[in-house]
Amino acid sequence: MKLLHIFIFCCFLQYAYISKAQSDVVHPMAIQLNVGTQGIGAAFNYGVTKGLAVRTGFNAIPIKANDVFKISGFNSTSHVSADFYNIHLLADYTPFEQQSWFRLVGGLGYFVKAKGNVRIIPSDDYKYGDLTLTEEQIGYVDLNVDWQGIAPYLGLGFLPSFPKNKFNVNVDLGTYYLPKPDANIVGTGILSGNSSQTDQFRSNIKDYRWLPILQVNFNYKF
Amino acid sequence: MKAMRLGVWISILGLISCGKPTEDIKIVVDTDIIKYTALIQVTDAQTGNPAPANASIAVVGENAANIYEISGKKDIKLVQGMVTIGLHPNITPTSQNPITTTVEITASGYTAQRKNITFTSAVRQQTVPIGISRVGNTAPPIVIPPPPVYQDVSLNFTGRCPNRPDVEIRPSVYVSFRKAGTNESFKYLGYMDKGNITTNLLAVGETYNFQIVYGGESYTVSQKIDQTSYNLTIDMTAACNF
Repeated sequence: MKLLHIFIFCCFLQYAYISKAQSDVVHPMAIQLNVGTQGIGAAFNYGVTKGLAVRTGFNAIPIKANDVFKISGFNSTSHVSADFYNIHLLADYTPFEQQSWFRLVGGLGYFVKAKGNVRIIPSDDYKYGDLTLTEEQIGYVDLNVDWQGIAPYLGLGFLPSFPKNKFNVNVDLGTYYLPKPDANIVGTGILSGNSSQTDQFRSNIKDYRWLPILQVNFNYKF
Repeated sequence: MKAMRLGVWISILGLISCGKPTEDIKIVVDTDIIKYTALIQVTDAQTGNPAPANASIAVVGENAANIYEISGKKDIKLVQGMVTIGLHPNITPTSQNPITTTVEITASGYTAQRKNITFTSAVRQQTVPIGISRVGNTAPPIVIPPPPVYQDVSLNFTGRCPNRPDVEIRPSVYVSFRKAGTNESFKYLGYMDKGNITTNLLAVGETYNFQIVYGGESYTVSQKIDQTSYNLTIDMTAACNF
């Protein structure tokens, strides 16, 4: 619900800006559905001037997968999950009037949720001396990372922002610069001591802030 | 499935940076599988010295099947007169049902001795001194005075696996100590819980040898005491077999 409120507020700001725009300029509007490395999403595009458009929308990528993460020398299975939800306000600037297929894109995204988790579970039948340990006794290790917050976006756009007629497709290539991540390691069972590795993990992950975006947008003008 | 994996990598772990998220991260393994333990210290009753090298221990009688060496091995043997035994991790004593077992110490030239050890819900760790006497010796056992007390010193032990540099052991075992450069017997220092022990038996300015007996092996490390806290690394090869 909070996400919806923020989205509506962004739309309101955009419309407020629209109301001040000059009345003799054509202001195309389009609805955009997109899919890419930040998941799926939707946006509302508004042409402010001939060379400048703004869009506001949201994207979401809830993903779960198994066995994408391995630690050498340690037989294990892994469960990876990622939840990235953002709302964004971007500006599309076409610097060359004759080259409307090329755009500079910049703006801000607010990552309402930006969490990654890797759960590593030993996969062997672990023996402790002559004892075979249960799964509960062995436990697991969780590596958690959280990038929640505001992230600037910079990128390039290819193909025009708005369809000539009703429908077109264009592409975004850029990157978000995410907030400094909070990270920790939590272990259970005989692996509970791995929380002591949190500082090292934080140090390793602190520069993981560039979230590359490759996105295909499907636009419908109305 | 491959497409899904690729998507995950691009989306999350594809976050661009130099370095690897798991670089220099070690796998930390605890040894507190056996929760109810007893450190058995066998000495010559008349001299106080550790039991002779040929001394052996056997767990007999009721509940013997549920008794393991602290490393989880069924093979229980004395090392310099010491061994830690404990209950199978699935067995838990209660206040109504404490669990008693019997150990028998035998050594060539000594009178065999049996001692009952009772595990209760209230006491997870205990020390069991057993003095054995030479055959025919009727002299009273020597009384060893308690060690002097000093200020608290905290020791944090990390177990090292020589063959697995990516693994660290966080030991939960009993520790013994003696002054370095002496031939005196190792004395009981205390139980380290998840690698940590705080003790008041160490004098400032003295250098000590610390010993743990685990998996039928003895491991030692030395440290001069000048501060109130130390991080010590000790080889624990017997804890690395997984």
